[in-house]
Amino acid sequence: MTSQPAIETEALSKRYGRHRGIEDVTFAVQPGEVFGFLGPNGAGKTTTIRTLLDLIHPTSGSARLFGLDSRRDSVAIRSRLGNLPGDFGFGREATGRRAVELLGRLRGLDRTGRAEELAKRFRADLDRPLGQLSRGNRQKVGLILATFHRPELLILDEPTSGLDPLMQEEFLDLVAEERDRGCAVFLSSHELDEVQRVCDRVGIVRGGRLVAVERIADLLGKARRRFAVELADPAGLERLRSLDGVADLELAGNRATFTAGGDLDAVVRELAGHHVLDLEATHPSLEEVFLGYYDEGEAA
Amino acid sequence: MTQAAALLRTHLYDRRRSVWAWGIPLGLMSAFIVAIFPSVEDSISKAVQGYPQGLKEAFGIGQLTNVEQYLQAEMLSLIVPLALGYLAVRAIASGLSGAAETGRLDVLLSAPVSRRRLVLAGFLATAVELAAVLLVTGALTGLGSILAGAGLDAGDAAAGFANVWPLALLFAGLGVVATGFSLRSSVVTGSVAGVLVGMYVVDLIGKLDPDLDGLRYLSVFKYYGNAIEDGIDPLAFAGVTAAACLLAALGAWLFERRDLAA
Repeated sequence: MTSQPAIETEALSKRYGRHRGIEDVTFAVQPGEVFGFLGPNGAGKTTTIRTLLDLIHPTSGSARLFGLDSRRDSVAIRSRLGNLPGDFGFGREATGRRAVELLGRLRGLDRTGRAEELAKRFRADLDRPLGQLSRGNRQKVGLILATFHRPELLILDEPTSGLDPLMQEEFLDLVAEERDRGCAVFLSSHELDEVQRVCDRVGIVRGGRLVAVERIADLLGKARRRFAVELADPAGLERLRSLDGVADLELAGNRATFTAGGDLDAVVRELAGHHVLDLEATHPSLEEVFLGYYDEGEAA
Repeated sequence: MTQAAALLRTHLYDRRRSVWAWGIPLGLMSAFIVAIFPSVEDSISKAVQGYPQGLKEAFGIGQLTNVEQYLQAEMLSLIVPLALGYLAVRAIASGLSGAAETGRLDVLLSAPVSRRRLVLAGFLATAVELAAVLLVTGALTGLGSILAGAGLDAGDAAAGFANVWPLALLFAGLGVVATGFSLRSSVVTGSVAGVLVGMYVVDLIGKLDPDLDGLRYLSVFKYYGNAIEDGIDPLAFAGVTAAACLLAALGAWLFERRDLAA
């Protein structure tokens, strides 16, 4: 394993004629890190991945993987990574085993025994033609092809798409194991719950631009929390509205709900002056944070 | 096993059925043509004498006094070259554009293999596939001749079938060039099949009208000749093969530089 970033992009941009792909995308993923790449369809996630893999060429900017140039050193880079494309396919007639054998030969591997282990673990059928497999079972074969050679970097585009909950758990365990052995994982996903569980950091892409790169804990910590408070005497609840950082205040009898961000000292001091019957504070889920970024974007 | 050998083997495995799917019908058709020749020889010869000279030259008929000439007129002047030219494009389209459409290309290019190697392996596999189809076709033709006692000269027939190979390979090369511009197999197949038919028609027009003979230089069919009677022209054979390889190299260069969009 190397100490250089597994991925490092600098103002990476791609335009398709007059259409936007990605603009000025800059981020780095370190070895042993799981990096989530979040955004809705069309935001630029797949364009970023295809540029990293040299399947499409950047209009400007650069991408380096393991310190190597993504264009000039593409073949050397690909010897060290595993990739699961967003819409995995290998033809209808080919079996998973044939695909493993071919990829093993292209990677110069004498043995592909780990593919068998992974097939057993994911209950994947390597002997049936891929065209006869369900989407989830095809996806398992794709996961095996991406990981069987123990890459230093895993690029996964919607990896759990079609997998049942048990296999999703197995997948998350596998990602954790890969991270533990020093593999960097670049995970593009719509499944915010799995991203929250497995990723160390996330990048949020909106309209082709990377609008945030944060550790998940920081992202959630900085986000507005939702409060529900019940007081013995509701008279003082209206005063919450005037406090800095308090928003979305809704009053119902002696109960109030509101959101608050930043320093909570003023909120706590205000509530301390009352007889509090109940107080509930909840951190937002990654999904709420993610949607918040998009609401802000639309408002702008 | 090297990367190139692994890719070649995979291409050939994927296309294994086409050798029989194309070789057997073409071979049975040729065998039938050869087998019926002894019984239609007289009537055919008389009929051909009445054909206009230009028409006979255009279709390479000349005289139909032996089974080799009949095989040339019925199969090797039109059906086999057009069929093999089309097969060549289909093979390239299925190996490259088809791989892009099924997602296989993305998986292969996740491995440490260059696009150039991928393309050239597909081209080489097509060359082998074409040779195999011609071998099956030729073998069945020879079998038909033996069974019917038609007396087809094996060496002449082999030259006639072998001469189709560089011609068809040229269209494989054009298919690779087309893949440099489009990853839709229908576009690749359609455009190069159009060029194939267009070249045939241009050559035909040039043969029919001496004033338009110069047009024939636009068509690879000018260099196809009549190998079953005249033998293989080594210069034309090597020249067309070299042109096919150059086109494939150009196509690989274009393919390397293009975006492989999702």
